[in-house]
Amino acid sequence: MSTQTRVLPQSKETLLQSYNKRLKDDIRSILDNFTEIIKTAKVEDETQVSRATQGEQDHYEMHVRAANIVRAGESLMKLVSDLKQFLILNDFPSVNEAISLRNQQLRTLQEECDKKLTSLRDEIAIDLYELEEEYYSSSYSQWDSADLSLCEAFHRRDSWASPGSSVGKACGTEDSSGPISQESAPGHLNGHSSNAADHH
Amino acid sequence: MANDRLRALEDVEKEIAVILQCAGNVVLELSKEKPNGSLLDRQLSQFTSAVNRVESELSSQIRYLTQVATGQPHEGSTYSARKDCQMALNRAEYARVKLGELGRTCEVLLDPQT
Repeated sequence: MSTQTRVLPQSKETLLQSYNKRLKDDIRSILDNFTEIIKTAKVEDETQVSRATQGEQDHYEMHVRAANIVRAGESLMKLVSDLKQFLILNDFPSVNEAISLRNQQLRTLQEECDKKLTSLRDEIAIDLYELEEEYYSSSYSQWDSADLSLCEAFHRRDSWASPGSSVGKACGTEDSSGPISQESAPGHLNGHSSNAADHH
Repeated sequence: MANDRLRALEDVEKEIAVILQCAGNVVLELSKEKPNGSLLDRQLSQFTSAVNRVESELSSQIRYLTQVATGQPHEGSTYSARKDCQMALNRAEYARVKLGELGRTCEVLLDPQT
C-alpha cells in the first residue's frame, strides 16, 4: 500500500506535478509583482533621467505589474477549476459516496411508491370483491359459466384445497364463506393482476 | 452532499478575489495625497493572510489528489436505481390514469339517474 502513489500512470503524475508548479508560479508572481509595485511607489529624490521620464517609466512599469497580478489571479482561478474537474472525475471515495447516496434515495422513493400502490391494490380488491358479490347475485348480471367472478374463483380454489366441499355453487348461496375468502383476497389477486398485466 | 472538497475550492476562488481586491485597495490608498495608515495595514494583512490561505488549501488539495487518484476511470453509475424508480413512478401514473377513467365512467353512469 505504501507504493500506491507509484501506481499512478505517467500522465496523472505529470498532471499533478504541473498543478503544483502552476500554483507555485502564480503565487510567486502575485507576491513579487505586488512588492515591486510598492517599491516603485516610493518617490526618489535623485533620478537618472528627468522626473517626467522617470514618472512615465514608473507608470508603465506599474501598469505592467498590475496586469501581471491580474493574469496570475486568472491563472489561479483556472487552476482551481481544473482541480475541481479532476476531483469530480478521480476522487473515488467521494464519487462512490455520492453514487451510493443517490442510489439509496432512489430506492427509498421506489419502495415507498410500490408500497402505496400495493396498499391501494389491496383496498380496491376488497371493494371489488363486495361489488362483484352484489352484482352477480342480483338479477341484472349476465354471466356465463366460463367467465369466473372473483368470489366464484375463491370458491373453486377452496374446493381444490379441500376436495370434499361443494363446487360450482353460485356466490349468493355461500354468504357464510364470504368473510373468510375476503382475507385471502390479496393472495389470489396476484394471479388476477398478472392476468390484467398480460393484456397490456 | 458528499462534497466538502468542492465547497473548499469554491471558498478558495472567493479568497483569490479577495487577494486581488486587497492589492487594488492598497495601491489605490497609496495613490492618495494622504494615505490612511491603518487602512493600509489592514488591507495588507488581509492580502498576506489570503495568499497564505490560498496556497495552503490548494497544496493540500493537490496532496490529497496524489494520494487518491488512480489512472482508471470510474465505472459506477446510478442508472439501475434510476430506471427502477422511473418504472415505479410510471406504474403509479398508470394506476392514477386508470382510476381516473374508472371514476369518470362511474360518474357518467350515475349522472342520468340524478
